[in-house]
Amino acid sequence: MQSPPPRFKQFLLRSRTIGELLAPAAPFDKKCGRENWTVAFAPDGSYFAWSQGHRTVKLVPWSQCLQNFLLHGTKNVTNSSSLRLPRQNSDGGQKNKPREHIIDCGDIVWSLAFGSSVPEKQSRCVNIEWHRFRFGQDQLLLATGLNNGRIKIWDVYTGKLLLNLVDHTEVVRDLTFAPDGSLILVSASRDKTLRVWDLKDDGNMMKVLRGHQNWVYSCAFSPDSSMLCSVGASKAVFLWNMDKYTMIRKLEGHHHDVVACDFSPDGALLATASYDTRVYIWDPHDGDILMEFGHLFPPPTPIFAGGANDRWVRSVSFSHDGLHIASLADDKMVRFWRIDEDYPVQVAPLSNGLCCAFSTDGSVLAAGTHDGSVYFWATPRQVPSLQHLCRMSIRRVMPTQEVQELPVPSKLLEFLSYRI
Amino acid sequence: MDGKEKTYGGYEGPDAMYVKLVSSDDGHEFIVKREYALTSVVQVNFAENRTNEVSIREVPSHVLSKVRYTNSSTKIPKLPIAPETALELLVAANFLDCQIKYILIHC
Repeated sequence: MQSPPPRFKQFLLRSRTIGELLAPAAPFDKKCGRENWTVAFAPDGSYFAWSQGHRTVKLVPWSQCLQNFLLHGTKNVTNSSSLRLPRQNSDGGQKNKPREHIIDCGDIVWSLAFGSSVPEKQSRCVNIEWHRFRFGQDQLLLATGLNNGRIKIWDVYTGKLLLNLVDHTEVVRDLTFAPDGSLILVSASRDKTLRVWDLKDDGNMMKVLRGHQNWVYSCAFSPDSSMLCSVGASKAVFLWNMDKYTMIRKLEGHHHDVVACDFSPDGALLATASYDTRVYIWDPHDGDILMEFGHLFPPPTPIFAGGANDRWVRSVSFSHDGLHIASLADDKMVRFWRIDEDYPVQVAPLSNGLCCAFSTDGSVLAAGTHDGSVYFWATPRQVPSLQHLCRMSIRRVMPTQEVQELPVPSKLLEFLSYRI
Repeated sequence: MDGKEKTYGGYEGPDAMYVKLVSSDDGHEFIVKREYALTSVVQVNFAENRTNEVSIREVPSHVLSKVRYTNSSTKIPKLPIAPETALELLVAANFLDCQIKYILIHC
């Protein structure tokens, strides 16, 4: 097995395991349909959702789940966990207390996304009007993308079905909500399109984004909701303007299908993962490749990168400190990288990993596997430098082109545009 | 704050427990434990002024709060920085960083 040069191995620390959620044992273990294609955390950190396979999605209150891990050790079989959750005397309405739900979606679940009417950045107060939903209450929704192209929208607090969106003709591979609380949902499908839905308007479909020549694997909103990145088969990485719904540019560089994408918390960086064994970090404002994280040494040449090589990268996720990313690859490893170093800072073993997501506070990484289970690790934490905090604060409001005009020394300009 | 100084030792003398950081813009004074004040600026001024007072041109509170948490194991709170002040703060932090490198090279 190819591995990095030996002198770097001593710096590879093993990540601390926090817990596991194992799928309930099913009678036909080897049958298809058990896969956990997606995991997601609610934007306010209250819930964790995972597709358990066999057409069900399980919603667990996240803080109770963490407590369970601490009290009962790291292994936690989900069948009995619902009985062990402590029941407190309810003194208020039940909707104020998070409860566990198992949702039967009726078809294999390929994608999950939480949507909240509360903007992730509490920058402005926006008066939001409601049509069908409860008035005056913060809405938390779970969207599930299914094998037959339907999208079902569920209420997280009650577990009830709210909407059924029918338009895609093939598997809905990824879903993402706009982070500004507007409940705009974008779905990416194997039918080569992305669709934009307005959930405040009863799920009205606003726009179809066409341009992919092949399956669309994943999509992600930039934190200011102005840009959408969609990635797909045939090396496609597209950036869309979400005010006018036009394509901004295509990012070229990968040698195989691109299967995952994620923006950094300040929107200045875009990470994409591909079957060509690489994770690229791009500047989404001008399309430059800033960093490359390889999972195979030496890196495969384009001919070899275009085929199967057991090192496909399945998922990539940006941490909330804007400094670390996590990647899942077929070589049975989860890697944590710093964006300014070439080799991973921590690794953890994981077989058949398919998807990963950081928790809302960034302290835990959840990864879902082929047999329907989820594993959790503590993310590497360190105090971010003051310069990095300043950089994130500036880049949240300023694209690269404006940064270049700032009256600061050129070394700082390079730092601000992540080119060091 | 004054009461603590009397009990645990003041900031006079070369081996004092506390040092005082003064912002020259508006005269803000910050008294911190010496072991926390690891910034280069403090070390430079020890050599130059033989006092435990340091004048810093920029707002030291952000730097100080960061230094406190570097040495402790308490949970790190988020540090909100408004974009308007972020640019000045970045230039200041970069300046302090360069000073560290200068000291390391020339000592």
